[in-house]
Amino acid sequence: MSTETAPATTESVETEHDHHPPHLQHHFVSSEQQFDSAKLGMWLFLITEILLFSALFVAYAVYRNWNPMAFAEASSTLDWVLGSVNTIVLLTSSLTVALSIHFIQKNDKQKTVISLLSTLVLAGGFLVIKYFEYMAKFEHGIYPGEAFAPTGSGYEYLAAIPYVPQFFSIYFVMTGIHGVHVVIGMGLIGWMAWRAHRGDFSDEWYTPVELTGLYWHIVDIIWIFLFPLLYLV
Amino acid sequence: MAHATDDHAAHGHHIIPIPTLLKVFGALVALTAITVGLSAFDFGMFEIPVALGLASAKATLVVMIFMALKYDNPVNMLTFSVGVLFVAVFLIFTLLDTAFRGDMDNVDRLTIEERERLNEQLQESDVDAEDLQVAPSDMQ
Repeated sequence: MSTETAPATTESVETEHDHHPPHLQHHFVSSEQQFDSAKLGMWLFLITEILLFSALFVAYAVYRNWNPMAFAEASSTLDWVLGSVNTIVLLTSSLTVALSIHFIQKNDKQKTVISLLSTLVLAGGFLVIKYFEYMAKFEHGIYPGEAFAPTGSGYEYLAAIPYVPQFFSIYFVMTGIHGVHVVIGMGLIGWMAWRAHRGDFSDEWYTPVELTGLYWHIVDIIWIFLFPLLYLV
Repeated sequence: MAHATDDHAAHGHHIIPIPTLLKVFGALVALTAITVGLSAFDFGMFEIPVALGLASAKATLVVMIFMALKYDNPVNMLTFSVGVLFVAVFLIFTLLDTAFRGDMDNVDRLTIEERERLNEQLQESDVDAEDLQVAPSDMQ
C-alpha cells in the first residue's frame, strides 16, 4: 500500500496526518480505531474460547460432585510436582510474552524477538513435561474412554472404583484440548518472532503481537484453573 | 536503554513498566506456591472454594495487568465480564440441577408421568394380607 492510494473517505485523516500509514486499512478512520476494533474482535474470540473450556469445567464439576471419592482417588495418581513445574513454566511464558509487547511498544526489535523466542522455548518445555506425564499414564493402561485398563502397582486398584475412568477421560480431554491450544500458540508466537525479526512491527503498529499475547494469556489462565482442579483437590 | 521515542511511544497506548510485570509474576508464583502448600491440608467442603479463589486471584492478575484490561478501552472489560457472567450462569444453573437431585422428598428420578402411572397401578392392584407380611430378612 502506498500513500497515494488513500481513498476519499480518509480525507479527515489526511488533515491530521500528512501521509496514510502503510498499516492502516482504508475502512478505518484512524490507526487507533483499527487497533481498538482488532482488540475487541480478539476479546470476543477469547470469550468463545473461555466458553469452550467452561463446558469441560461444567462436566468436571458435575461428575466430581456426584463422585467425590473416585475423583480424589484418581486425582492422587497425577504428579503434582510436574503439574506445579508446568504451572511455573506457563506463568513465566506469560511474563515473557507481556515483556515482548513492552519492548515492541518501545521499538526495541531485538528484545521483542528474544522475548518471543523465550516464550516459544517455555511453551515447548510445557509440552515436553506434558508428554512425559501422558506417557507415565499410558504405561499403566490409563487411557481415556473405553480403553481405560489400569495395570501395575499403584494403578490396578483403580479398576475397582466406579467413575475413575470418567475422571481420566475428563483429564485427557481437558489437558488435550489445552495442549492443542499451546501448539497453536507456539505456531503464532514463532510467526510473530519471525515477523518481528523481519521488521514488520514498530511502536506505531504491533497489533498482531498484542493479539497473540492476549491469546497466550488465555491459554495460561485456562491452565491456572486446570492445575488445582485436576492435580490438587 | 534510553529511547528518543519514549514520549509518544505506542501512540498513547499504555506501556506497562517492567517492574510492574515482574511484581505481578512474583505474585503469581507466590499464589501458586500457596495453592500447592494448602493442598496438603484438608479443608473438607471448603477445598474447592479455596482452590478456585486462589486460581481466580491469579487469573485476575493476568487479565488486569498482563492482558492490560485495567488500562484498556472499557468495552473490552465489558465483553470479558459478560463472558465470565455467562460461564457462572452455565456452571451454577447446571449444578443447581445435578447437585440436588434426590436430596429433597419431592424430587425423584422418575418423571411426573411415570410416577402418576405407578400410583395408578398401585391403586388398581389388590393389596391383600400376603403382600403386607414382613419377613425377618426385611428387618436387617
